[in-house]
Amino acid sequence: MTDFSLKTFDKNTREKLSFWKLARQFWYFLKDEKPKLIGATLAIAINSTASIAAPFILGYTIDHFIIQKNLSGLTRFSLILSGIYLITFVTNFVQVRTMGTLGQNILFKLRNSLFSKIQTLPLRFFNQNKLGDLISRINNDTDKLNQFFSQQLNQFVGNIFTLIGIGVFIFFINYRLALVTLATAFVLFIITSIISPWIARRNRLSLQSLGGLSAEVSESLNYFKVIVSFNRRDYFRDNFNRSNQENFQMSFRSGIANNLMGPIYDFSGNLASLLVLLYGIFLITQGQLSIGILISFLSYTDRFYGPLRQMASLWAGVQTALAAWNRIFEILHLKSDLAILPESKAKDTKSMMHFDNVVFGYETDKPILKKVNFNFLEGKTYAIVGPTGGGKSTLASLMSRLYDPQKGTVYLSNCDIRTYRPEDLARKIGFILQETYLFTGTVGENIVYGNPEFKNYSKKKLEKLLKSLNLEALINKFEDGLDTKIVYNSESISLGQKQLISFIRAIIRRPKLLIMDEATANIDTVTETLLQTIIDKLPENTTKVIIAHRLNTIKKADEIYFVNNGRVITAQSFEHSVDMITKSKKNS
Amino acid sequence: MPEKRPNNNFKLFKLARPYLGFILLILAASLVANGLNLFLPKVVAQTIDTFRSSNSIPVTFIRNFSLIIVFIFIFSTIQSLLQTYLSEKFARDLREKLITKISNQPYLFINQFTSEKLLTNLTADVDNIKQVVAQALIQIFASVITIVGATVLLLSINWRLALIVLTIIPLIVAIFTFIFSKIRKYFLRSQAIIDKLNKVINESIIASSLIRIINSQDWEFQKFSAVSQEAREVGLSILKLFSSLVPLIGLIANASIVAILLVGGKSIVLGTFTIGGFTAFMSYISMLIFPIVVLGFISNLIARAAVSFERVEAVLDAPVEKLYGDLDTEFKGNIVFENVNLTLNDKQILKNISFNIKANCKTAILGPTAAGKSQIFYLISGLIKPNSGQISIDNQPIFNYSQECLSRQIGLVFQDSSIFNTTIAENINFNNHDDPKSVNKAIATAELENFIDTLPQGLNTKIDERGNNLSGGQKQRITLARALALNPKILLLDDFTARVDKDTEKRITANLNKNYPQITEVLITQQISSAKDADQIILVMEGEILATGTHDYLLKNSSEYQQIYNSQQDLT
Repeated sequence: MTDFSLKTFDKNTREKLSFWKLARQFWYFLKDEKPKLIGATLAIAINSTASIAAPFILGYTIDHFIIQKNLSGLTRFSLILSGIYLITFVTNFVQVRTMGTLGQNILFKLRNSLFSKIQTLPLRFFNQNKLGDLISRINNDTDKLNQFFSQQLNQFVGNIFTLIGIGVFIFFINYRLALVTLATAFVLFIITSIISPWIARRNRLSLQSLGGLSAEVSESLNYFKVIVSFNRRDYFRDNFNRSNQENFQMSFRSGIANNLMGPIYDFSGNLASLLVLLYGIFLITQGQLSIGILISFLSYTDRFYGPLRQMASLWAGVQTALAAWNRIFEILHLKSDLAILPESKAKDTKSMMHFDNVVFGYETDKPILKKVNFNFLEGKTYAIVGPTGGGKSTLASLMSRLYDPQKGTVYLSNCDIRTYRPEDLARKIGFILQETYLFTGTVGENIVYGNPEFKNYSKKKLEKLLKSLNLEALINKFEDGLDTKIVYNSESISLGQKQLISFIRAIIRRPKLLIMDEATANIDTVTETLLQTIIDKLPENTTKVIIAHRLNTIKKADEIYFVNNGRVITAQSFEHSVDMITKSKKNS
Repeated sequence: MPEKRPNNNFKLFKLARPYLGFILLILAASLVANGLNLFLPKVVAQTIDTFRSSNSIPVTFIRNFSLIIVFIFIFSTIQSLLQTYLSEKFARDLREKLITKISNQPYLFINQFTSEKLLTNLTADVDNIKQVVAQALIQIFASVITIVGATVLLLSINWRLALIVLTIIPLIVAIFTFIFSKIRKYFLRSQAIIDKLNKVINESIIASSLIRIINSQDWEFQKFSAVSQEAREVGLSILKLFSSLVPLIGLIANASIVAILLVGGKSIVLGTFTIGGFTAFMSYISMLIFPIVVLGFISNLIARAAVSFERVEAVLDAPVEKLYGDLDTEFKGNIVFENVNLTLNDKQILKNISFNIKANCKTAILGPTAAGKSQIFYLISGLIKPNSGQISIDNQPIFNYSQECLSRQIGLVFQDSSIFNTTIAENINFNNHDDPKSVNKAIATAELENFIDTLPQGLNTKIDERGNNLSGGQKQRITLARALALNPKILLLDDFTARVDKDTEKRITANLNKNYPQITEVLITQQISSAKDADQIILVMEGEILATGTHDYLLKNSSEYQQIYNSQQDLT
């Protein structure tokens, strides 16, 4: 069975977040941005060259015009310098704008890919992962990558250009002094590459704890009613504070990992200056160096170590982005285990839903359904009864392929249910779930929700449709009819009303197979009678499956199935099913 | 430092006040490190000048230089450690403050502030503020110090040249001012969009099974993508403003270098300035420019944090409505409603409701869908407040009691079963009284024993996210056990029978009578069969009480009751 639970990293995980592996995975998102990347790189290259040239020209001006007291040369070179600074300005602007746009594009793409990937995943994924953590991955982790691309990458690339440029340049000026400058940098490089995986891991843990925090908040806010009424505000606070404390520790540790490089790089830069100064003076005494060159060389050392210092924090930014990407990729690489099989020809048949030796459990070793067999025919009404927890809802979930069985096959109209495309399944099967789900909007929007056919219906047209399906009276149960506002998670409409919306939502799809999982449990009996007449008026070939524990609702069924302990048995009569329910209790 | 809308930025710093000691410590470290940094070019210049005049390597300068860089290292390490600590401590404390505030609010607060927004407040908003208070604040101070220091040194070397350099500062301030005046509305929108994203993701995950059944994944994606697109547009607008800021500041700063080259160069030619002084001057200019550019970078953070702060402050400053009193007595269980009216979201839900529930009796509130039954339940439990009228328990207005007193003695079973992602034991013993006897009695009464016995880990079985591994009936019975584990004096059941079959219901009713004989039970239901044995039935329709009495009485005297009765007759 596919495991959809996202990894939790623990403190001792040795898994290496390798830069190259993660970068390769990420390339997909950069492919379309090639022109921007090339443009920005060009701007960065020009910018870096200009930045390198500027102090050289400055030094040259000092050496050749100021010391030589050449005023016209000084003016000319000042103008050249101005031109170079202007180029710096333009290229700087271009790179910030281009990379910022690229960052926003990547953020947009990543968020959308994550969200749409999550939409393709089966229900099991949602049972195994926490809501708040998923939100955090979609919102916070993607933003870390945006920050990297819009704010850090251009500096990063720019600095690399500058470093290489200056590195090469100073070699030409004086290779001996250059070697001194670069030796310190080399030592830094080795230190950095050793501790980078550690930094990435620290960041990974920190992002994970932020996800945990968000999960804690989401759950508590969604259940605030229970927390308040049981006066367990302390439960809310304590749980939150535990995650908060955990987050504090993890963020502190990752912060140290990210920030500690700064002082080390600083120190190396200063040390390099000292070494260059000493060695430079030594060379001057040997008559191998002029004072002007030493001054410009010192300024190059500064120019070299300035960006190198920034590299400390930029590199930490790279590691944060990698850690965030690692969390994002964990979702992106998941694949639904509900693959669609190649189509097979349907035989002409009256069979609507057929279970053939179906075995299923949410966990492999705990079967909820054991070898279930039945055949539901077109146009008939079936009732499924049994004690709570006996497997009724599970059975219904398999009928609409929320899960695949571990063994056996489910047939819809005599074709393996796995050969249907999701949109065809949705068209054929109307499943009214036990839980009601509404979305922020109006009653009307919730009724046509998810239904491309009615998406662009005007209110009038929708009303007409509802009337033709005898649903009008139900809409009138809402204060403002179709326009009644629905606020998510609020008390503005009752559970019974929510069930009415779910009911209408399924009926207007005119399904061939209508499954109702205790769908009217909180609706009053007068309204329920109304619902019954609506169901009775559905086309004759509609198969109806009613899951209920209230036996009165199933009297009209053609056949009654009794579900308990993973077995499905036909009841010979209504009385027989009542009898079985009464006797089954000990096992529920 | 440019101060646009000083009010808001100033308020932002208010949050930093408790950490002033810390900040000063970091500042001191940063002051030392940055101050020492200022000396380095001077040391280099002196070395060169001395070398030029005496042609020897000045050993004391080398020693000084080495000492200085070691000290810089030590102090900048200290600064970095402290800063990281402060930054995270600040975030933790602010979150704690927020959660304390939120957790003390009444139930309806969440509806008003919305959970998606509170989630952003606790995560993204806190992070934005944290960055400014712990890092940008110190950056600002450090930058200002460096700017002032460099300015003084520039003036000391050559005040005329220095004045030329300093003209860039008012220019830069003007640019900041302009951009700050434009940026606020974008950041406000950008944070509001995060709320929206939270909401769409939240709804789509909670409704994941429905979405899969009706194949509305695309639908959800369109919704998400629209918000995501909006986020991109706002992001780009912000980018537009800031992308010109930093390069422009750089340009202005570089212009000053050219000016100095020209003017300073002339001075050297004229012999009024030394080459060493000139070198130092150039170094100090770059020292002056760097913090200015840094300020340009972090101005983005400051503007964003100011907006986040506004949002967080709205939560922190929200008045905590004191609903409850201090009275704490043992209930007998008499409940009285007098002329109670309730309006929610501009909708009148209950009109002039009056009734009387006697202790130790069983009362059923019966009525059709959306009659206002659940709201009566919320009122009895003190979750919400009526707009007018009086609700009392044992002759005391309900809000005279302390919340502890109410929650200890009123057991609530909600219609929707909220199950926490923890063990069954913790879900049942939610009130944390740690009384195994009460818990076991509750489990037995709710008919959960057999179910729990089938679980390999029994009571310690962990429940999946949102109770996804439980059936509707199991969830409902767990919430019943949760209410009963309190040993409540008053038990409120909202449509409890909806998810439990008749037979289990019967046995649970019998268990209740046997195990909790001294309980006042209020039952909300649509089923006459569940209500019929009650001592009193209150018939509610469209927010009004139509009739009150026993089953036999209502059957004789209330036509509406008869109608409901008949509708259920042909079904049973």
